This record gives sequence, C-alpha cells and structure tokens, in this order.
Amino acid sequence: MRGIGKSFGGVAVLTNVDLVVAPGAVVSLLGSNGAGKSTLVKILTGVYGREAGTVRIDGEAVVFADPRAAAAAGVRLLPQEISVMPEMTVAENVSLADLPVKAGPGFAVVDRARMRARASELLDQLGFAAIAPDRLVKTLSVAEQRIVEIARALAGRARILVMDEPTAALTEQEAKLIFAIIRRLKAQSVAVIYISHYLNEVFEISDQIVVLRDGANAGTFATAAAARADVLAAMLGRVAGDLYEHAAKDGTGGDDVLAVDHFSFFDHLADLSFTVRRGEIFGVFGLIGSGIETLGRALYGGLGPSPAGTIRIAGSPYRPLAPRAGKAAGIGFVAADRKREGIIGDLTVRENMVAPFIERYARGPFVSKAAETAQARHWIEALGIRARGPEQKMRTLSGGNQQKVCVSRWLVDGISLLILEEPTRGVDVGARREIYRELRRLADRGLAVLVLSSDVEEVAGISDRSLVLDRGRIVGRFARRTPPATLMAATASDPAFRAAS
Amino acid sequence: MTTLAERPHAASPVRQRILAGLGQPWSGVAILCAFYLALILVFALLTPFFLTSRNLLAIGSNVAFIGLMAAAGTPLIIAGGLDLSVAATAGLTGVFIATLASQGLYIWLAVLAALILAAAIGLINGLFATRLRLNPLIVTLGMMSIVGGAALIMTGGLTRALSVPGFNWIGQGRLYQIPVPLILMLLAYAAIAVTLRFTRFGRFVYASGGNAEASRLIGLPVERVQITLYVVSAISGAVAGTMLAAQLGAAAPAAAAPHLLTVIAAIILGGTSLYGGRGSVWGTLLAVLILGTLNNGLTLLDVSSFWQDVTRGVVLMLAVSLDQIRTRALGD
Repeated sequence: MRGIGKSFGGVAVLTNVDLVVAPGAVVSLLGSNGAGKSTLVKILTGVYGREAGTVRIDGEAVVFADPRAAAAAGVRLLPQEISVMPEMTVAENVSLADLPVKAGPGFAVVDRARMRARASELLDQLGFAAIAPDRLVKTLSVAEQRIVEIARALAGRARILVMDEPTAALTEQEAKLIFAIIRRLKAQSVAVIYISHYLNEVFEISDQIVVLRDGANAGTFATAAAARADVLAAMLGRVAGDLYEHAAKDGTGGDDVLAVDHFSFFDHLADLSFTVRRGEIFGVFGLIGSGIETLGRALYGGLGPSPAGTIRIAGSPYRPLAPRAGKAAGIGFVAADRKREGIIGDLTVRENMVAPFIERYARGPFVSKAAETAQARHWIEALGIRARGPEQKMRTLSGGNQQKVCVSRWLVDGISLLILEEPTRGVDVGARREIYRELRRLADRGLAVLVLSSDVEEVAGISDRSLVLDRGRIVGRFARRTPPATLMAATASDPAFRAAS
Repeated sequence: MTTLAERPHAASPVRQRILAGLGQPWSGVAILCAFYLALILVFALLTPFFLTSRNLLAIGSNVAFIGLMAAAGTPLIIAGGLDLSVAATAGLTGVFIATLASQGLYIWLAVLAALILAAAIGLINGLFATRLRLNPLIVTLGMMSIVGGAALIMTGGLTRALSVPGFNWIGQGRLYQIPVPLILMLLAYAAIAVTLRFTRFGRFVYASGGNAEASRLIGLPVERVQITLYVVSAISGAVAGTMLAAQLGAAAPAAAAPHLLTVIAAIILGGTSLYGGRGSVWGTLLAVLILGTLNNGLTLLDVSSFWQDVTRGVVLMLAVSLDQIRTRALGD
C-alpha cells in the first residue's frame, strides 16, 4: 500500500500512508486510538474505498469494491469482535462463506462430509485438531471460538491475514495460543498484519513494526533491533517513560474503607475476605472466568442482592442490593465493557459526567445546565480529557477519554470507594499512563481504589496490595511491587494452554 | 493518484460537502422544515383555498388526535419503549365513556374513570415490558388486541351516540377562534418539550434509551422512567379518544385503531430513533403537521384516500432513509 489517503466528512484520517508486508512476515501496526490503524486495514480489505494511493498485491495493482472481492484475492480480515455463529457447528462456521455442495435430488445440497473434512484439515494445520468439527460453536471457549474464526479466514487461499486486536478478549495464556498459530502461518508464508495495543505482544510476535500517528506514518522498525522507548516515542510523539512511573509511595494506606468478610456470590465467588484501605489502590488479578468479572459489580450491587457474607463500608454494615444502594453507600463503579455498560453514546460529555448525581446539579425537578457545564469543564481540564468541549457527543471520544469520563462521574463528595473493572481495556498506551496517574492521584486524595483486571502487568504495576482469584477463590495475597510473573504463577494454568504447550 | 482508475471511490467535493452538512446535528429538523415549507408552497399554488385561516385551523384540529398520541409516544420511544396499544386505548376510551354515560353516570366522572382505566392499561404494559423484560413490541401488540376486543365486546361492535353539550366542546369548541383539540395538543407538546429539555426526568429518558444497562449501573431509575412513560402514553390515548368521541358526537369501537401507524410514522419521521436515545418532540410535531397537511392538501386536490396512504408510506420511507444516511455521515 502506497500513499493511501482517506477522509470522513471532510476530515482527513489518513494522509500518504505506506505499508509493505512480505510473504511469511508478521508486521505489527501500532498506534494510539484514532491513529488510523483500523481505517487503513479496512481500505486494504475492501470495507472502505480510498481517495488516494495504490494497493498492490504481488506487484499487481488491485481495487477491491467490497470485502468479498478482497477475500477472493486472498486478503482476509479477522475483526476485533469475535463474529462466529454460535448456533452452528465448527465445520459450518469454517465453511460458511464457501459451502461445498454436491448434486442432490434435483438441486445442490451441502456436502457435509467434505465440509467436516475441510474443517478438521484447517484446524489440524493450526495445531488444534482437538476441536471437533461437529461441536456447536457456542459450547467452545472464547479462545477456541477465535481459533475457529481464524480457520474460517484461512479457508480457501489466504495470502494476507489482517488481525485486528485478536487477543483483546483473551487472557494472556490464550493469547499465547494465537501466537503459536501466527508462527505456523508464517511458516506457510502467509503475510500477517497484526494490530494491537499491547507492546509486549508486538515485540513478541512481529518481524517489523509500523507505527501510525494522526493518520500518517510515524516510524518503521525492525523488531529485533528496535528499542521499546523509540517505538513508544514514535507512537506518542514524545518520549514516554515507564507506564507505572506513578507507583505507590511507601507507607500509604489508612483506615479500612471496605471490609469484606466471608463473601460468596452463588457459583461465582466463594468465601472471600479482604479489606481495601483509604488512600490505596487494591488490585485483584484473575483470568477470565476467575471471578474478577463478578466481584466488583457484586459488591456494588449491580447484580442484585448478594446472599452471603458481611461487608462494611467505613465501619457501617452494608449489603449489596442495587446500584442505587451502592451509590448511596459511597461506592462508585466503572464497568469493563465501556460501550455496552459504561457510556451513553448519544448524550454529551457533560450529560454523561453528571448522570449519576444529577440531583446535585438540579433545583427541584429542573436541571441546571450552567452548573453542569462548570463541573464538566473542571474535570475535562483536571483529567486532561481530550474533547472539543462539554457538549461533544460521548461516542465520538476515543476509548481512553471515554474511560476518563466514566471515572469522573464518581469524583464527588460522599464517594469513598471507587471500583474499576479492566480500567484500561481497549485504551492506548498514552491514555493508559494518564489513567494510572489519575488513579494514583485519587488514592492520594483519600479514595480507596479497587481495580479488577485480567491484565497481570497492570495489577502488578499499580497495586499497593493485591490478590489473585482463581475459580472464585483467593489463591494468593501480595504486597506492592510483586513481579507480574509471581501473580501469574499464583493462578492455576488454563487447561487450553497446557494442551497447546 | 492522478488517474481516475486509481481513485475508485473518490467522492466529489460537492458530495462531500452535502455529507458533511447532513452530519450536522440540526440537519434533521432543518430538512423537515424545508420539506414542510415546500409542501405548503406547492399546495398554496395548486389550490387557492389551502392558505385560508379556516383551512389551516381545520388541519390543526384534524391532526390534534394523532398529534397528542405522537407527543406522548415520542419520549417513550426515546427511552427505549414502544406502545402499539395507544390507538386501541383511544378507541376503548370513547366506548367506555359512552357506555358509562348511557347508564346515567355524570359525564365527567365517566371521563375520569376512562383516564384511570387507561392508566391501568399503561401500567400493565410498563410492568410487563420492564419487570419481565419482554419485548415491548409483543407486549403492546397483545394489549392492542385485548383492548380492541374489549371495546367491541362493550358495545357489541356498534357505534354509540354521545351527545352532551359541555362534553362535545372538547372536540368541537373554540377558544379565541382556535379549536380546543389543537390547544390541548399544543399544551401537551409544550409540557413534554420542557420536561425532556429541562428536567432530571427528561435526562433520564434519553439516558435510559441511549444505554439502558449503563444507566442502570450508574443507579438511574430506568424501569421507573419507562413505566411512567407507558402510563403517560396510555393516558394520551385516552385523552385523544375522548377528544375524538367529543368531536364526532359518537363513540365507535374501531374508530381510532387504524391511526396507530400514522402515530408511529410521525414519531419516526420526526427523527426519533426506533432504537432509542435520540429524538425530539418538536421533530414529531413537524412530522404530524406534514402528514396532516399532506392529507388535507391531497383531499383538496381530490386525490383519492387510497393514494394518500401510498403517499404517506413513500414520505416515511424517504425520511427514514435520509436519517440512516445522516447517521452514517455522523460516523457511527
């Protein structure tokens, strides 16, 4: 791809971008949110048209009118969100775009035997012969569904495979499975374009790193020779230091804000006891399914009344009932799935910020726009939220800035405990650093911060104290500056991972 | 990049400018306004009677019935609900009042009883749709059938005369030359517009429809807001039904039900998203006036009412397509 240009509604999103991939090479496409990565690969795969530039495959200029044409030419896209048909079998999913048929009673029927054979052949190529072609996809784990999706992308003759954050919904071990597959594809001289936010992954898997910034090329690195700081600098446009430079000071931690004693939640959590103190960041690490996706919202009341255990907030007994009750008890909650459970996209930044405590900006039933705007301006400035102003629509903000707005909702008097699920999921490196810094500041100001995350480096990096969950139970408690590997070792390894390694 | 062949999807500057303009937030209402003015101009040129105050007031009086239900339906759809039973409720109301009145009940007590009945219908809709998390389409479709059937049972399918001078004033009377139904409708629009724009409840309406799960997780009263709106919608049906019966001087069980589609069409034409979260009551008002004016103008031009149905459908589909293009221009 040479000199690619594209704009939306008069705003240029790509200008003169080059991207070259050799057969059997893995090129990582790196950039902050909004840098133009997704747009670029959507042009390559025929989802969007382009306004300038040429695309050549094996030296031949091509124009793809739609994704189907791109797929026919061997360019396949693995989208960020998993898109399998849960009610169909593995074999059907793999062959969906190109069902093998045979002559039937007067009309063509699907050749089930060939379909099954093709699916097992492809899965075998990927090293996952264990996934049976006749299983319903909904009975597979998320990682296995990803693998089926990759097999589907490879059905036919794939020469270029574009993977858009393939590990976003996966745990670290599951991500390793994907890497194993990428290495096999390399050996079969498929060209892979790998989009990711995670520097670690990029360095582990790619031969070359192409960095985009503000819709233009910002640097191309040979991975083996590249220094992380240089890549980060190209990405952020300034020299970036350690992600966790705002690590905890020694001797923090005051009175208990949250004291959980023998807390259980149906099948998900069993007999948890821990405390979170004023002024500290308390991290909970676990793999997907370990209970980290339940614990935070169960405490907050987002899952309704909880059956067992005693909880105290600042010394007073508290029972999770509903979000309103949690809010009244002084708990703020930021959900993991920002788009589905966090933001209200059609409302403005201001309206999103004041939503939980709108009564504080209202006189009787009437809202005060002036008071809301003042509050919104304050937090936009204080948290460094990049928005055109309080009236910008929430959905047009980048992930990191949306997350800051979600946090700012709870920064009011009366909130003493802030619970965050996956605080930096889908957030670029630059915004991540800022979010960590803000969480530290909030803790320094006297808030108790409880972070639940499947990102082991995150928990290790920001926590003053942490614990590790596995299958709903506490399997380890750790102090500040515990290395990520120690946290990871505490959790039992995933069966799928053991099968592959 | 100089030859056209290498720029397969190049958009012309004009097209880009148009798309950028469509992306503006105000463009929906602007397009409706422009369309309305064009409509008035065309009819004014084609028929001299169209632009008389008598005819314009007649339009106002005729759209009041539909306009009232569309007014209350707008916040409900914005909040993520839908009420298909509103027109059937209007029909039941007229019949209910006529039946009670025929048994000697004081007319205004009968009206009050009908309003309470409607509120109960709305409450049932709301409870089923929120507490049981049923699809509002199914719930209110069922309710539409129940209510419509009840109206037929009540009169054995017959039309009942309903002639009480004070009561008929609601449908036929005038205040300072302006038809009472039109006044009632405009009051409803003003009240709902103020509520949506300036109150906490209004904010909850947009938040609930924009993202119900996120709203619930930050502790907003999503269910209460939706239930309230179902009740308000049903009551709007009752008021509309009362107006219609008063206007006609009779209550027919099936008089109101056919207007349901026009009510929904007006709300969608006015720019309210069927998926919730977006819309305004002023857009609905404009759409109600457009549909009413279209009806009136075509009637004046002696176009058969069958063709009027076709025209209404075409306008609706055009409007929805345009809205979809706008949404894409907004980049989502």
